[in-house]
Amino acid sequence: MVRSEKIKIETIDLHVWYRDLHVLKGVNMQIPEKRVTAIIGPSGCGKTTLLKSLNRMVELVEDSKVKGQVLLDGVNIYDDSIDLTELRKRVGMVFQKPNPLPKSIYENIAYGPRIHGINDKKELDKIVEKCLKEAGLWDEVKDRLNDSAFNLSIGQQQRLCIARTLAVNPEVLLMDEPCSALDPRSTMKVEELIEKLRGTYTIVIVTHNMQQAQRISDYTAFIYYGKIVEFGPTEDIFLNPKEKLTRDYIKGKFG
Amino acid sequence: MRKLKEYLMITLVSVQGLLVISVAVLLPAMIFWIGSPSLSLKLFTSSVFEGGLFECIMGTIWMLLGTIAISGPIGVLAAIYLVEYAPRSSKIVRVVDQSINNLAGVPSIVIGLFGYTFFSYHLKLGISLLSGWLTLSLMTLPIIIRGSEEALRMIPYSFREAAIGLGATKWEAVRDNVLPVAAPGIATSIILAVARIAGEVAAILFTACVLTMRGLPDSILEPVMTLSYYLFVMLVTSPKFSISKAFATATVLLLVVIFLVVVATAIRTYYRRIWKW
Repeated sequence: MVRSEKIKIETIDLHVWYRDLHVLKGVNMQIPEKRVTAIIGPSGCGKTTLLKSLNRMVELVEDSKVKGQVLLDGVNIYDDSIDLTELRKRVGMVFQKPNPLPKSIYENIAYGPRIHGINDKKELDKIVEKCLKEAGLWDEVKDRLNDSAFNLSIGQQQRLCIARTLAVNPEVLLMDEPCSALDPRSTMKVEELIEKLRGTYTIVIVTHNMQQAQRISDYTAFIYYGKIVEFGPTEDIFLNPKEKLTRDYIKGKFG
Repeated sequence: MRKLKEYLMITLVSVQGLLVISVAVLLPAMIFWIGSPSLSLKLFTSSVFEGGLFECIMGTIWMLLGTIAISGPIGVLAAIYLVEYAPRSSKIVRVVDQSINNLAGVPSIVIGLFGYTFFSYHLKLGISLLSGWLTLSLMTLPIIIRGSEEALRMIPYSFREAAIGLGATKWEAVRDNVLPVAAPGIATSIILAVARIAGEVAAILFTACVLTMRGLPDSILEPVMTLSYYLFVMLVTSPKFSISKAFATATVLLLVVIFLVVVATAIRTYYRRIWKW
């Protein structure tokens, strides 16, 4: 399926229940390192749940139950010995709606490094500048780093959230429909940002937007009611889908 | 016809509004009006033995501060537990939740009787400042818990999610991103609790105060005088106690409460400013 790529994350027979609702029904998937992998599929079919089960954020949902394995560099993250804070530092997450912390722009970026033990002001200054530059936000905000993050536009907020995630040096970036709340111009900027991050981070992005998946991803997984229907290089999925269900979905017959 | 109904409705709600406002304004105004002629600096500074209110004022302030010192932390922690940690589906949590409502509904005289039997008698704390604090805490706890819960629930879930997603623990997420923003709301709940117990007599009748006049307590295990209790006792027992003196005492009580509320509001405003978001 995945041609000669190093595998970063592998899910093995992954099941997730919310109370009685069986959301993921045995997902087997390999996510290649330092590539962009898109997860597409109709609403409510488990895309976000799959994403959240990759850094165990799914466990924040009350009455959720997970069965199966998720291997990160070969180690099962659902093992009891896993340190959750360390895991979430390695596997960062960007949410559907931009969710800045109730702090200044500067503190939004500095918060992650701070809770992981970096308190040196100079070092934090450096991290903040580096991450904001990486997210292409530096020139827009460098004169008002102490302003509330809520004064930024929605698109800027989302790029701030990406920059904030980068500040803790993650290996994997999980993005849950990061552009769904944004206007086309901001969407373009976020896509450009993803383009820039490709090759440095392993990116998993859930998207509703088929064109976006084609534009930005190397691999695409089509998920339908809790199961992976098809997974492969993006061009194969969109040009030569093997399954009829995939073909119907990407043609927009249902959604 | 619909226009007429609309007009009637507007009149009705405006009249009700005016009624509420006038009561809220007229009542304290009346107390000040009747009480203020007997008001003097001497009333604040001289001892009860010389016709002043000094011990009662100090007693009231100590009573309120001590009660808040006890029930504030407990109440806020309980609210944090209920909002952030307690599993909503658990039966025990629901029982706790309901008990808080029940506690809020217990008449203060019953609370006072309980405080007397439990704190004063069984725990041998006697009739003392400490017994009074603990008893009044039973009254302030539900107010503080409910108010703080409300304040915490108003903070968007996304703040917690964002912090946890960066690798914060639950407590770090709450401490750094929820509590600072909820602090003004929590402070408000504490102010409300103070206002609720400032004039309380029934709950401290058997637990913190004695009928005979006395000076300031030397320790927290001694009885204390408060403005509300003094007012009550004087009205009931002393034929010499004039109405104007009673209203002067009530005025002082109002002033003490207003003073505490202003201080608390100032603190709240200050924190709201430094934690802007």
